[in-house]
Amino acid sequence: MTKREVHFTLNGRSVTYEVEPRTTLLRALRHHGVTSVKRGCEEGECGTCTVLLDGVPVKSCTVLALEVEGRSVLTAEGLVGKDGKLHPVQQAFVEEGGIQCGFCTPGMVLTTYALLKKNPDPSEDEIRLALAGNLCRCTGYTGIFRSVKRAAELLKDQA
Amino acid sequence: MLAFELERPRSLQEAISILEKFGNRAMPKAGGTDLLMWMKDRLVTPEVVVDLSLIPDLAGVNFSKDGLRIGAMATCTEVLESAAVEDHFPALRDACLSHSDWLIRNRATVVGNVCSAVPSGDVMPALYCYDATIRIVGPRGERSIPINKFILGPRKKDMIAGEIVTHVFLPLPEGKSSGCYLKLGRRNALDLAQVGVACVAIDGKNGREYRLAYGAVAPTPVRALEAEKALQGIKAPDDALLEKVSALAKEAVKPIADVRAGVEYRLAMVGELTKRAIDTCVERLKEE
Repeated sequence: MTKREVHFTLNGRSVTYEVEPRTTLLRALRHHGVTSVKRGCEEGECGTCTVLLDGVPVKSCTVLALEVEGRSVLTAEGLVGKDGKLHPVQQAFVEEGGIQCGFCTPGMVLTTYALLKKNPDPSEDEIRLALAGNLCRCTGYTGIFRSVKRAAELLKDQA
Repeated sequence: MLAFELERPRSLQEAISILEKFGNRAMPKAGGTDLLMWMKDRLVTPEVVVDLSLIPDLAGVNFSKDGLRIGAMATCTEVLESAAVEDHFPALRDACLSHSDWLIRNRATVVGNVCSAVPSGDVMPALYCYDATIRIVGPRGERSIPINKFILGPRKKDMIAGEIVTHVFLPLPEGKSSGCYLKLGRRNALDLAQVGVACVAIDGKNGREYRLAYGAVAPTPVRALEAEKALQGIKAPDDALLEKVSALAKEAVKPIADVRAGVEYRLAMVGELTKRAIDTCVERLKEE
């Protein structure tokens, strides 16, 4: 199939990609060097390809690249400040050891970011419910849940 | 995934004419969380995918005194966060919340779950309990069909090429009501139901009425009408009645054994979950 152009905002910058209709957002991003978005199961299960689409967390393997025309996509790269400083959510994962192999981390961080925007003070149950679609095979999740709570504190301090 | 062409119509008329033109070679897409995965596995191989997401008529959840209209593009998240759904259609809220996980619910649509027509579809038993109607437009105009007539079998539904489900309509229960959906899976998230039970209790003009519907235990969702009859008018069913009702519910279903559960287990769980679902509805009506 012929390639078509898709114009969208990626981490605050306007970009244009040339993609086939069948190209998923996941594959398009990785092809263009946005490698924080991981290709795990590629069938909507694992959550390592999570991105925020107009602020809403979705699995980018379930989105066609052409569907993001005119929309805004945020990846973990976009959370890092201009000065290279980590976002408080990222910092919290570092401080609390919410990371082992790191493959799930960008997705975890983005889902956490979206959760805390919606609910700045989530309960343990709300954290578990929000992160249910992001699988981690290393940590057993306890470090990740600690990281989310720490991120909530850091964001509150910042506000 | 095999190559295909993507169409993104901005009106229903345009979508219908594309779907009609390509016939069986085209498929409509809402959230795409089933369709894209089926295409990847080559279970379906459309040459043209018609993305419905830019059609304004298909968006949103609207509540009026008559009932609830769920547009074809309304996601599970939108539906479960709707105040009207929480207040008047709690079994549907439970069902949406039991579906997959937050990230998928942000894409997957309620109407898409119906149109996928898989036996384990989580939103369907609740829609059966609420007597939902499927509204369809196509080359020959508009039509309405009850959900139990729309779903014909696993992945089979009463639709012809060129037709689009625009929305699902749920009439407002006539009286104070409560409801729940109990899903049995191997884990809480990202799993297909082994058994799904929706129960709705309504205090209507003929007294207390119950509705019971089951998913994943027959080729299509099923209502247990005999079980419902046995409960008619009874506000506080005792253990003997609950036993009888759960036996009647088991007669209404016809489960298969598959990778997720065996027949005996599914039947036993239909019985157990029926009792729990009725209890939950009875308790919730007492509280209010």
